[in-house]
Amino acid sequence: MKPRSTVARLLALFRGRKLDHELDDEILAHLELAEHDAIARGLIPEEARQSARRNFGGIEEMKENHRDYRSVRWVDNLLRDFRYGMGSLARDPGFAVVAIGLLALGIGANSAMFSIVDAVLLKPLPFPEPERMVRVWETPPGLRNGTTTLTFLDWKRQTDIFEALSVESPTKAAVATSGYPARVAGKQVSADYFQVFGVKPQIGRAFARGEDQPGADRVVVLSHAFWQTQFGSDPGVLNRDLVLDGEPHRIIGVLPAGSFDRDEAVFWTPLIFAPDQLNRGQHWLNPIGRLRAGVSLEQARAKMTILRASLNDVIYQKDWGFAVDPFAQMLVGDTLRRSIYLAFGAVVMVLLIACANVANLALAKGTTRRKEMALRTALGATRGRLIVQLLTESLVLCILGGVAGVALGALLLHTAAPLVAAALPFTADLSMDLRVLGFAAIAVMAVLILAGLLPSLQTSFGTLSNALNQSPRGSSGSNAAVRRTIVIAEVAASVVLICGAALLFKSLEKLQQVDAGVRIDHVITMSTDLPSAAYPSPASAARFYEAVVQRLQTVPGVEQASVSQGLPLQGVQWGEYMRLPGVEQPLLVRLKLADPWYFSALQIPIESGRGIEKRDRAGAPPIVVINQEVVRQLSKSFGVANPIGRTVGIDVPGYGPIPESLVNMQIVGVIRSERTAALNAPPELVAYIPLAQAPRQDIKLVVRARSGPAAAMPGIREAVRQIDPHLPLGDVMTMEQVKEESMLWATQPTWVVGAFAGVAALLAALGLYGVLAHAVMQQRREIGIRMALGARSSDVLSHILRSAFSMLIVGLAGGLAGAFALTRVLKGLLFQVSALDPVALAVACVLMTLVGILAALIPASRAARVDPMRVLRDEG
Amino acid sequence: MLAANISEDKTDVPYGTLDLLILKTLDTMGPLHGYRIARRIEQVAENLLRLNQGSIYPALIRLEQQGWIRTQWGISETKRKVKFYSLTKAGLKQLSIEVANWERATALVARFLEAKS
Repeated sequence: MKPRSTVARLLALFRGRKLDHELDDEILAHLELAEHDAIARGLIPEEARQSARRNFGGIEEMKENHRDYRSVRWVDNLLRDFRYGMGSLARDPGFAVVAIGLLALGIGANSAMFSIVDAVLLKPLPFPEPERMVRVWETPPGLRNGTTTLTFLDWKRQTDIFEALSVESPTKAAVATSGYPARVAGKQVSADYFQVFGVKPQIGRAFARGEDQPGADRVVVLSHAFWQTQFGSDPGVLNRDLVLDGEPHRIIGVLPAGSFDRDEAVFWTPLIFAPDQLNRGQHWLNPIGRLRAGVSLEQARAKMTILRASLNDVIYQKDWGFAVDPFAQMLVGDTLRRSIYLAFGAVVMVLLIACANVANLALAKGTTRRKEMALRTALGATRGRLIVQLLTESLVLCILGGVAGVALGALLLHTAAPLVAAALPFTADLSMDLRVLGFAAIAVMAVLILAGLLPSLQTSFGTLSNALNQSPRGSSGSNAAVRRTIVIAEVAASVVLICGAALLFKSLEKLQQVDAGVRIDHVITMSTDLPSAAYPSPASAARFYEAVVQRLQTVPGVEQASVSQGLPLQGVQWGEYMRLPGVEQPLLVRLKLADPWYFSALQIPIESGRGIEKRDRAGAPPIVVINQEVVRQLSKSFGVANPIGRTVGIDVPGYGPIPESLVNMQIVGVIRSERTAALNAPPELVAYIPLAQAPRQDIKLVVRARSGPAAAMPGIREAVRQIDPHLPLGDVMTMEQVKEESMLWATQPTWVVGAFAGVAALLAALGLYGVLAHAVMQQRREIGIRMALGARSSDVLSHILRSAFSMLIVGLAGGLAGAFALTRVLKGLLFQVSALDPVALAVACVLMTLVGILAALIPASRAARVDPMRVLRDEG
Repeated sequence: MLAANISEDKTDVPYGTLDLLILKTLDTMGPLHGYRIARRIEQVAENLLRLNQGSIYPALIRLEQQGWIRTQWGISETKRKVKFYSLTKAGLKQLSIEVANWERATALVARFLEAKS
């Protein structure tokens, strides 16, 4: 075929209707002219018309030739099937709506979930050559730990390994914006931080070498979003200053849009090490690096091992090594990865069940279309041609379902993104991009095969006489067996999901029941940072703590106020060694700094001795209060029976430039353990030091209110403002919110799987309903005869329910087997619940059975109401 | 009923020649509509040809798609809108090719028929 005619033929495909129309006109004109001529030759009109038709020849045959010549046959067929498919869908809108709805649900939920999977686990990081980005650790046996300043500086000198090596330390600063003081999040970073990420500022420059050295000018880099909102996208921003905690910082750069947008930090300043931080005792840095081009991970690891050996004289943790890990790997925690896989597995299951439903509907439709198929076979259509036609109809369904699904997915993602964002790494960008659309397209193809191909192969293309004679009475047949099998598989799949959801919910309940050891209700918390300029000395900070508590106590509605470093359930920042005199091996404890009112504000009971009191101020004899876990460990490891009165040595963190120092202090009391870390973690060993004896700038206010905490908030703000009008309050959260946040890792996957399990159960019930309803319709005559012969309504009812029950039982058995097989997946996410918990599994089975019976009741009662006389009259 | 009117001595259009007949007709007569083309072919054949008049339409669309003829809307003698077909430059060239082919083929066959053992 020449190109010209190929193009013409392809064009003809789309002009088919117009060309047909034109041809019809030509034929009409032709016949008219012929008739006209014939009359002119003397024939009477009737004969003239006949003669014209005769000379013209077979009109339909000619038209078919005309189409053949002008067009590409198979494409033309396809288009015709497509139109036919649309038509047949339009004729049965109920089926079309249900099927498209099911597919949209399945594909929508899957594309939204895939977007998360893709963003978190599959897509490369949004930085150039992300495989060169690494995290570097010190490794106590079996662990990953931060490193010390001096060791970090040793690593930084390994320029043959690292092109750039940086640390980041989160910070918050008051930014003077319109009116009231606000605290915004930022990061202190090494000068080559942006080099690690390969990000170049859109305006200005990144930090220069040496800008993280003592004495350098104060400079700051802004995030794109912060530049837009706070500086109105001012292109001249580089001439302006940003005032952080009262200190003007020269703006040297603005990051491009997209980079770090999901990071909560909006500004970056150089991290300048204080002289006292230059030690090898405090493991506080978590370096990120970019490997030099051409250096493999293995080479880097080997070189770091050699470096570790050469530093053996100065590093006193002799059994700690160095480790280099890919950056991407460390971004996604094990729990998150597991949760995402779990949720994705659940949503794929939902899609499969939706497919099964559509296949089932199509099969049911297939039985009712037997006559049509037989007729077409009789008229000469081949089996292959009919299968193609059925497939095309399914394709129409799938494409419509897919389009609706993608729209639904975008909607779901839009709704869910803000809810899940906190749990995902900052690099994860959730959007319906081309990759997600590609996934949706693949899903549509898979659905087409599952829900379209199998039913079309199953559809009977029997002989005309068979179909016409049998179909009104045909009861079940092989088709029905296939449909029952599909329903059983659906029930089984739903049971797996419901079991998983039941286990997760039980685990969540257990988690919620864990006693946090502190008062949760009526407690409100907030954080603040004391700026060094206003609070230069430990004494000034200590004065603030006392003044603010005193003032807060006078606020109406406030029962108890306190200041501390750190909150329950959020983890404790400091881990220090507690040394007993005469004992060589120290005990690692978490160190919490609290004022005298912390225990009473959170209602933590004192078990023995005393708590922290007002007399424990700076200059007074240093004391420490320990929790029961420490007591237990002291008695177990060192045989200390009664620790009260003992003197222990602990490194106490410093204030500002004041270094940390070893302080000998007396144990004066024991408190009942509060949960300092996540509720699923065992209680930690915690030592409490008076905040007045070890003041800090980053502190939390904890206020217990008499009634609703929200009502007390304005009074609290005002009280703090009276003490220091420039001090901004951040992270205002009730203790309930703190607790909720600490359980997000468990609640989110639980509700996601729970929602999918619910949808799956409904879909399975729908499938069950469909099969039973169809069976009842097909067996009406049989039921009518039975009733005519004396069967009662209740017999018919129980007959149908028995049939439903048999499918349910087999499905339940299959589902339980599946649940057993999948225990390994769930194990890591369950808290104090066995993956084979009999109660949860039983609840799941009962739920599915109930839903199934409900679905069966409708067709069963319809069957019981069959009027034998009418049925026999209608179809006899 | 149809068969009764078809006389025994008429022949079918020789295979593959309908295109040639149409092109030649348009070359001789200028723009024509479908019916006139069919009639003209019948007239020239002086009723020796058994032509289903309708069969020229698939041939016309094929020739049009090859770019050898073009169409224009016009008004028929019965005041109806019809397509008028006319030869394009490419069609003229194609006609000469087909005529040459045909002459070569008939010459070849004629030589076989004349050949004596």
